[in-house]
Amino acid sequence: MDMQRPDPLSLTFAALADPTRRAILARLAGGEATVKELAEPFDMTQPAISKHLRVLERAGLIEQGRQAQWRPRRLRAGPLRDVADWVGQYRRHWEASFDRLDDYLRELQEEGEHGDDGDDR
Amino acid sequence: MAIQQLGNERTTAYADGADLVMERIFDAPRDLVWRVMNDPERVTHWWGPKGYTTTVEEMDVRPGGRWRWINHTTGGEDAPFRGEYLEVDPPVRSVRTFIFDVPGFDDRAAVESMVLEDLGGRTKVTARTRFPSAEDLEGALAMGMIGGALDSYDRLADEIAKG
Repeated sequence: MDMQRPDPLSLTFAALADPTRRAILARLAGGEATVKELAEPFDMTQPAISKHLRVLERAGLIEQGRQAQWRPRRLRAGPLRDVADWVGQYRRHWEASFDRLDDYLRELQEEGEHGDDGDDR
Repeated sequence: MAIQQLGNERTTAYADGADLVMERIFDAPRDLVWRVMNDPERVTHWWGPKGYTTTVEEMDVRPGGRWRWINHTTGGEDAPFRGEYLEVDPPVRSVRTFIFDVPGFDDRAAVESMVLEDLGGRTKVTARTRFPSAEDLEGALAMGMIGGALDSYDRLADEIAKG
């Protein structure tokens, strides 16, 4: 049974492949909210929103609070951070690489001042 | 067209439709910047975030040549990237495809162009990456921003926990 379940990262990506669900997560990043509150900005019925919430829940991206009947949803940070790390990697990658490239170029040029090949002491 | 400002204080970055553009000025002559960016051994000295190590598995810098670089993260994971060089015009311009080589991402290639501008002893590098669609880029950015929001949320929670 377990072997047929998609890996967690695939589940997360599938859950994030929908703009409504991403908007729900963005809203929850600002604090927990009830289904009613989550449905408000969308032109959608509460059952439709609930369906999205179930997908997010299965992916472990959100969880339900235990409080009474209105049971606010809140974000679970772990899986989302994994995805943000993977997807956001590109830009951060280049920024970080440029920082290192800057240091490395400086190093090479300083070496150059002491001898053209760098290993000439 | 809405241009979204991103980046840190050293690198200018903005989204322009399906393009992510990053600009940075290096205090080094253009020939040296080109060599360091296109030499397989030297790439391992700077590619990837601090603390990561890089293996250059393949790097054939000429039109039609392939490249495959692997980042070894501090968490012990491997993040492989690969693609093909489309245009190579030293020391001015190179264009290559860029694929994040993991299932789920390896079916979509971004096209990355690097232009090196000679500023007389300094060099401006413009990296323009065209993602398959503006939606891809927006999706990536949205998730990145959510990630950032999460970090702030975490810090706030820590702060509150201190009492």
